[in-house]
Amino acid sequence: MKKYKALNIYLVLVFIILYAPIFYLIYYSFNSGGTMHGYGHFTLKWYKEVVQDTRLITIVLNTLVIALLSSAISTMLGVVGALAIRTVRRAPVKNTLLTLNNVLIVSPDVIIGASFLILYTIIGIKLGFTSVLLSHIAFSVPIVVLMVLPKLQEMSPTLIDAARDLGARRWDVLSKVILPFIKPGIFAGFFMALTYSLDDFAVTFFVTGNGFSTLSVEIYSLARQGISLTINALSALLFLFTVILVVGYYFIVQYYRKPRRQGAGE
Amino acid sequence: MTEQTIIRFDQVTKQYDHDQAVLNNVSFEIERGKFYTLLGPSGCGKTTILRLIAGFTEPSQGKIYFNGQIINTVPANKRQVNTVFQDYALFPHLNVFENVAFGLRIKKMKQSQITEKVKEALRFVNLEGYDHRTISEMSGGQKQRVAIARAIVNEPEVILLDEPLSALDLKLRTEMQYELRDLQKRLGITFIFVTHDQEEALAMSDEIFVINKGSIQQSGSPIDIYDEPINRFVADFIGESNIIPGTMRQDFLVNFADKDFECVDKGFDANEAVEVVIRPEDLEITEPSLGKLQVRVDSQLFRGVHFEICCFDEAGNEWLVHSTKRAQVGETIGLNFSPEAIHVMRFGETEEEFDKRLEAYDG
Repeated sequence: MKKYKALNIYLVLVFIILYAPIFYLIYYSFNSGGTMHGYGHFTLKWYKEVVQDTRLITIVLNTLVIALLSSAISTMLGVVGALAIRTVRRAPVKNTLLTLNNVLIVSPDVIIGASFLILYTIIGIKLGFTSVLLSHIAFSVPIVVLMVLPKLQEMSPTLIDAARDLGARRWDVLSKVILPFIKPGIFAGFFMALTYSLDDFAVTFFVTGNGFSTLSVEIYSLARQGISLTINALSALLFLFTVILVVGYYFIVQYYRKPRRQGAGE
Repeated sequence: MTEQTIIRFDQVTKQYDHDQAVLNNVSFEIERGKFYTLLGPSGCGKTTILRLIAGFTEPSQGKIYFNGQIINTVPANKRQVNTVFQDYALFPHLNVFENVAFGLRIKKMKQSQITEKVKEALRFVNLEGYDHRTISEMSGGQKQRVAIARAIVNEPEVILLDEPLSALDLKLRTEMQYELRDLQKRLGITFIFVTHDQEEALAMSDEIFVINKGSIQQSGSPIDIYDEPINRFVADFIGESNIIPGTMRQDFLVNFADKDFECVDKGFDANEAVEVVIRPEDLEITEPSLGKLQVRVDSQLFRGVHFEICCFDEAGNEWLVHSTKRAQVGETIGLNFSPEAIHVMRFGETEEEFDKRLEAYDG
């Protein structure tokens, strides 16, 4: 019992330490003083500044557009990829494909970013919106594959036989049986891709050119220029948005996990 | 081939890659409106036959006819056949109504017609009012019925059932046997039922195909197959039997356990080595002096309906007896049986030869 309590205290401590800097930052985003020491009084000045800064708004919009577009496209690609991996019969080939997929997830962002930079310079893609979008799609696809594949493997192959048996053509089988079955995995993959894209700094940092920036890169450069509490305000907003995404994801997963009752009985 | 034939296998072989053939040169005919059972141990090829008929797989050699047309390469979605799967394969994201309606929606039938047909199919399997239930809310037996309703709503000419009762408990299984048989009679269409359970096969079928190692061992009515098994495998697989080595002295006289017995079999060579089958329930326990055979009781097991008594005769043959009378372990008893209870099997006889011999002796 005592040991259990100690464990709990430890856990709480860990979380406090992990979250403290973020809350510290958010706390000072309401500071009228203009610095991260010496609290003046509560103000929304920095938030107002963020909202009024059209350049910053453009960057926020850029970030959102990149995130939504890249996660939507990578979800489609990832689902197709997962379907393809499932059809591979031979175990060695399948395992190789899966490993190649997983290596992309675990390999450091810096390396991925640098290699994309080299690739784009070689094939002559101008750094900017396109290069960032392509890179985000590239690192999101493996994540989607990883989220969708377990759902696909969970599906009994007789379900497909049954659909064929009932007259379904290939497209019917995909749209009426397979996709509905793996829908939770698709949603999970989409949200993961979305958060990864919103968060990403390292890869984006390498492949953005002049005149195009995402929020994380912009915050980094602002922080290098000098301390302004607009950064705090911006970070607070970003943090809030991420929390909303995670909570939203949680509820979607819950929704699919529970068997829905639709007026059972009659 | 007659008008009645709906499916015909003509020397069909199925082989995966370079493995041994799963089905070896199989030929048979299926008639309209009958209840067929493919019976055999797991891995014997019975499910492969089903998959060939359903169109999930194509034969390596031979031809499959459906209503006189070769259907070797016709895909599953274009065949007039529906399957009830072993794991039911109901769509978990659809409710009961939509599961049953799946095939009709694919055919782009009108909504009013779909509603009518689905309701009728659900009524047919006693699931009225379950339309809006989700699949996870249904019990095993109910899922089974949904799967059947989903098959019959498409009005197929043949329904294939792949061990559909194996996941149910004993009581429900017996109940479903009656229901399936009744359903088949009411619908009047062909059922092809796959099972490894010989009791199920005997209880439900018009005709049984006993399959082993990729070929059909024997086909016939349950009574034919039970009473006149063609070989050791069939005799052993269907019900319990005493299989004793013997010699055919002449027509109607067989020797086993060092004695000559009168029997009803003929058409063998003189002194041909044969195997003799006597079912345990055909053996009657008597006083030793009154019995045709004298055996010593080795062990006894109470089975509820009867005692299962294991005995040995003087020649060392083991005899299994089913009797409602109790015996004493260690005591010597007499066994009595009629000439009709003896069934003589020729070694390595094919079904054709067997039928020919039987015909000759009937006529």
